[in-house]
Amino acid sequence: MNMKSYKFLFFAVLAISVTVLSGCRTKKPSSGMYGSDNMYGGAIIDDDIQLNPDNMGLPMDGDRNMFEAVMFAYDSSQVNPEEAGKVEAVAKYLNKKRGSGVIVEGHGDERGSREYNLTLGERRALAIRDYLISLGVDPSSIQTKSLGEEMPSNMGHDEDAWRQNRRGVFAIY
Amino acid sequence: MRRVFLMGCVALVSAGAFAQRVEVRKSGESKITINLGSYRVGGDVASKTFLSVLKTDLSRSGYFKVISSGGELNVAGSCVSAGTSLKADCHLYKGSTRQRLLGKTYKTTTADARGLAHRVADEILYAATGKKGMASGKIALVSNRTGRKELYVCDIDGKNIRQITKDRSIVVGPGWAPDGKNIIYTSYKRGYPNVYLTGRGKPLSSHGGLNASGAISPDGKSLAVILSRDGNPELYLKSLRTGRLTRLTNTRRGNEASPCWSPDGNHIAYVSDTSGKPQIYIMPRSGGRAQRLTSSGSESVSPNWGRNGYIVYSSRIGGRYRIAMVNPVAKSMRVLETDWADYEDPSWAPDGRHIICSRTASYRSSIYLLDTLKDSPVALLTGSVDWYSPACSP
Repeated sequence: MNMKSYKFLFFAVLAISVTVLSGCRTKKPSSGMYGSDNMYGGAIIDDDIQLNPDNMGLPMDGDRNMFEAVMFAYDSSQVNPEEAGKVEAVAKYLNKKRGSGVIVEGHGDERGSREYNLTLGERRALAIRDYLISLGVDPSSIQTKSLGEEMPSNMGHDEDAWRQNRRGVFAIY
Repeated sequence: MRRVFLMGCVALVSAGAFAQRVEVRKSGESKITINLGSYRVGGDVASKTFLSVLKTDLSRSGYFKVISSGGELNVAGSCVSAGTSLKADCHLYKGSTRQRLLGKTYKTTTADARGLAHRVADEILYAATGKKGMASGKIALVSNRTGRKELYVCDIDGKNIRQITKDRSIVVGPGWAPDGKNIIYTSYKRGYPNVYLTGRGKPLSSHGGLNASGAISPDGKSLAVILSRDGNPELYLKSLRTGRLTRLTNTRRGNEASPCWSPDGNHIAYVSDTSGKPQIYIMPRSGGRAQRLTSSGSESVSPNWGRNGYIVYSSRIGGRYRIAMVNPVAKSMRVLETDWADYEDPSWAPDGRHIICSRTASYRSSIYLLDTLKDSPVALLTGSVDWYSPACSP
């Protein structure tokens, strides 16, 4: 063996020992469940760290039968003039009944990617929220919740079903 | 530092072993013949399962043609069970020179016969070609088979299905943590859409409004996530150490969705509809100007950045969703050949050659394996319920 291959061998052995030794020091993750090899070692994150949860303690549900749902055009999050009256009725109610509030649920039809439809549903809910605020409703009494395409009101697969599923629902609490 | 050493080791080992390997022909035009005709198994179910799964895995890898006499490679050995333990000897020889490429004895339980076959298949592929296999990979996915949308995990051949969540809520868009062990997903189990990680009770992200499409960086330190806390769905980066938030996009007139990380963790690809239709953009992880990646197709959604460097995504072309892949450096794009159905939510298999995706026909979703070279698609999970949003383990 010449000098070069000795060096080669030395570094290989060194590398292996460093890997093995440092591997021993790493605490094995207790939460690991799936797959065979742990590429990066260690737990992903420490379970003790609070990652600023701020939607805990908000009202979870409300009465969905008090007001009509606002309908939306395909791929649009704009509240159409002919639907505006439905939002105004909710604003009137909330402005009168202090202490009450609303969860605005945004929904979409089944076409398109589920994750994109989640953001579209949220934009629909936010558009309704903005309109409610412009009508004097206290922002802290309005929550938005997008359900994307996950909870259709009509289980069909035609234009009619899709039109009924693109909606903003008011859950009053 | 440790990872650099580790990579050094792998490089040294690979360099040493390379000389012995069998030449792999280009793009599956012809395959390496591998003879398993002389491999002996006992009369029990576990060892028979081991051999049949091993043959399927080798064949499905795309690099081998499994035969029972002659051949360029020969697998000798035996698999036997005693009680609940299973033992397999595997010796891989070059047919011409009798040179041994792999010789190992594996021990496991009879219940793990399939798992052992997957491991051996990947080791045979590596010994013969130097390529990483996919057989040991896992798929995280969603199904409505209980009537609720719960999270499941199965092996990459669609078998060994386990239900992970029992929240009776809605699970959306699962993905793997870089450790390949835990799964990040969006769930409504506490009323609002929050981002969760398996094995951890508290949500990773639970701001007011939408928390969705969480993706953990390759180093495990950051979370790319879509939040609407500032009044519009935008892409954010969240430190998983400190919880500190950095907003990466500011598109009052648009939506962002589906972030995924580049293999080196320096860039994020994501969907934005600021142009009027959802298309894929790339941004440095430190923020800055977004670069539009896709322009063809009326929609380009659900990007997944493979360790092979290619971004695979779903593109709406001529009214149906097809699987496309793009090299973000050369910008060269290719659409995979598929039938008339809708193909969505692609995810690179760990071998960097195959893609797992959903196929929707007659409003029913199933899970398919596609080959980016020449082999035919394989149905992995089908039936009378929906299986969708598959994500392959790294």
